[in-house]
Amino acid sequence: MAEMTDGAALSGKPAGLSPAATEYILAFADDEHMVGARHTTWIGLGPFLEEDLAFCSIAQDELGHAIALYTVVAESEGAAGEAGVDQLALLRAPDAYRSSWLAEWPCNDWAQAVVRHWLYDTAEALRWDAVAASTVPQLAAIVPGAQREEQFHTRHAAQFMAQVCTTAAAQIGTAIQELLPVAHTVWLPPVDEAAALAEGVATRSFAEMEQDWQALVEADLSKWGLPAALLRGQSASEQRQTDRTVRSPGFTPFHQDLVEVFSIDPAAVW
Amino acid sequence: MTATTMPATVSGLNHWAGLDEFEAFIDDGGMVEPGDAMPEVYRQEVFRFIEFHANSELMGGLTERDWIPKAPGLRLKQIFLAKTQDEIGHAHLLYMVAADMGVKGRTEMLEDLFSGRSRFHNVFHYQAVTWADQIAIAYLVDAAAFASQRAVFAQCSYGPYKRVLKRIVAEEGFHMRHGEEMLLRMAEGTPVQHQMFQEALNRWWWPAVQLFGPDSAPDDPLLRWKIKSERNEDLRDAYIQKYVPLLQGYRFQIPDDGVHFNEEAGKWVVSEIDWEPLKATMRQGGPDSKRRITNAANNWADTAWVRSAFNLEGAGAP
Repeated sequence: MAEMTDGAALSGKPAGLSPAATEYILAFADDEHMVGARHTTWIGLGPFLEEDLAFCSIAQDELGHAIALYTVVAESEGAAGEAGVDQLALLRAPDAYRSSWLAEWPCNDWAQAVVRHWLYDTAEALRWDAVAASTVPQLAAIVPGAQREEQFHTRHAAQFMAQVCTTAAAQIGTAIQELLPVAHTVWLPPVDEAAALAEGVATRSFAEMEQDWQALVEADLSKWGLPAALLRGQSASEQRQTDRTVRSPGFTPFHQDLVEVFSIDPAAVW
Repeated sequence: MTATTMPATVSGLNHWAGLDEFEAFIDDGGMVEPGDAMPEVYRQEVFRFIEFHANSELMGGLTERDWIPKAPGLRLKQIFLAKTQDEIGHAHLLYMVAADMGVKGRTEMLEDLFSGRSRFHNVFHYQAVTWADQIAIAYLVDAAAFASQRAVFAQCSYGPYKRVLKRIVAEEGFHMRHGEEMLLRMAEGTPVQHQMFQEALNRWWWPAVQLFGPDSAPDDPLLRWKIKSERNEDLRDAYIQKYVPLLQGYRFQIPDDGVHFNEEAGKWVVSEIDWEPLKATMRQGGPDSKRRITNAANNWADTAWVRSAFNLEGAGAP
């Protein structure tokens, strides 16, 4: 097992990827990893068995996306295979992660979990579209498979939300209010986004995509009979993510869980 | 099937004049289907067996879930997630098969489980306390479950159960192979890993052996009706014959001072089994029974609003 790497280590230019491209892909990989890992905690506890199975499949897909994205970065650094992926996914210091608080948020309540699923996957679909024609060929190659899976995720989220918004609007409205402080963090741009866009890593800025996302989620809310304004306005929370180098309040214990077994014996292959 | 045991057929469904005729049908390899006018004693016994199996798959998933967030690697997390999803999927299939027997609906079965009124396998009343326990479950428990379920699948007289068991047994076989691969990493790994698995083996060996249950009753109706194809003691003995030498070959010590190879009999012999721990689990008095059932019950209550939103609450949710 390699040692934990700090944030500064990421700023070194990896062979084949610019620092800006690395930051861009890691922001996506970390979001996919965190949301997949958080979804994982629901296995066996879904509200009914069919939903348990569906949500678990979504978690596995998101983790698969994370693995694919980490692999692009790891291979550019000459660290191929599972060890290279795990070095990036699990063994960085907290300040080296680039995830959004929306992805990191525990969502220990099912209403929050499904609202996060809807908000995040609506954003994720836009992000995959934005890298479909990436000048990083390894990144563009991941997109078709991810888009196929994402179609199911967004459809699942929409169908589930449509049902519960009709009959349990209060729970969903509360969950949206609870997630409002972190909902827009998924659109905090990657470090040095301008350089990544100039290189053609992606074809649209996070600011542009956020506008589309806002329109999509508001249209959904209207369709489901909830006020579109639910997701407008600034967070009143004192703790707020200002950029992707800042971790959410619950990140440290969550990360300690992720690396607990690794930490038992650094020489072990598990 | 002989002419004498051919069941009368009404509207495509089978019915029998009495238990003797029904058992002759089973003896001739007949398959019972949900719409058949099966003897009530068969319906109740087979339902109870399938409900127990379904409960065990679900509670097995809950036993394994604790360590998934801590899986040492992203691929490993995906794999253990998929494996646990299989177990939940088995529960899903089995609850549907059981519900179709018309004794209880799925909601009633789950509520009985979460209130401690119905039972599940002894091994899922224990807690996985280290990552090595997760591997012990994959290696020891999945192998025991595989042997047990394969023996049910072999001759199973209840059609829907046999059909879902085909898939379940195939997936459990895959889990067993996965458990073997994971065990090899511990057995051939660092001294820390070897010691971790030894400690897990100390915790899981006897519960795994006890999973097969006490010796079958001489007149066990589930054997007579070909739900089970082998006696509990025979399955348990085959497990011991396979796993004692395998574990010793990996330099692990079986936590049984009396285990030895009987040259005359040509087989491994273990100490007399203390069945009290298994009996305690059947009273929901196992080491982790209370936490496991309480957590599941609390979660069930917390998510009632979702089932209500989908009109599943109290509707029997087949």
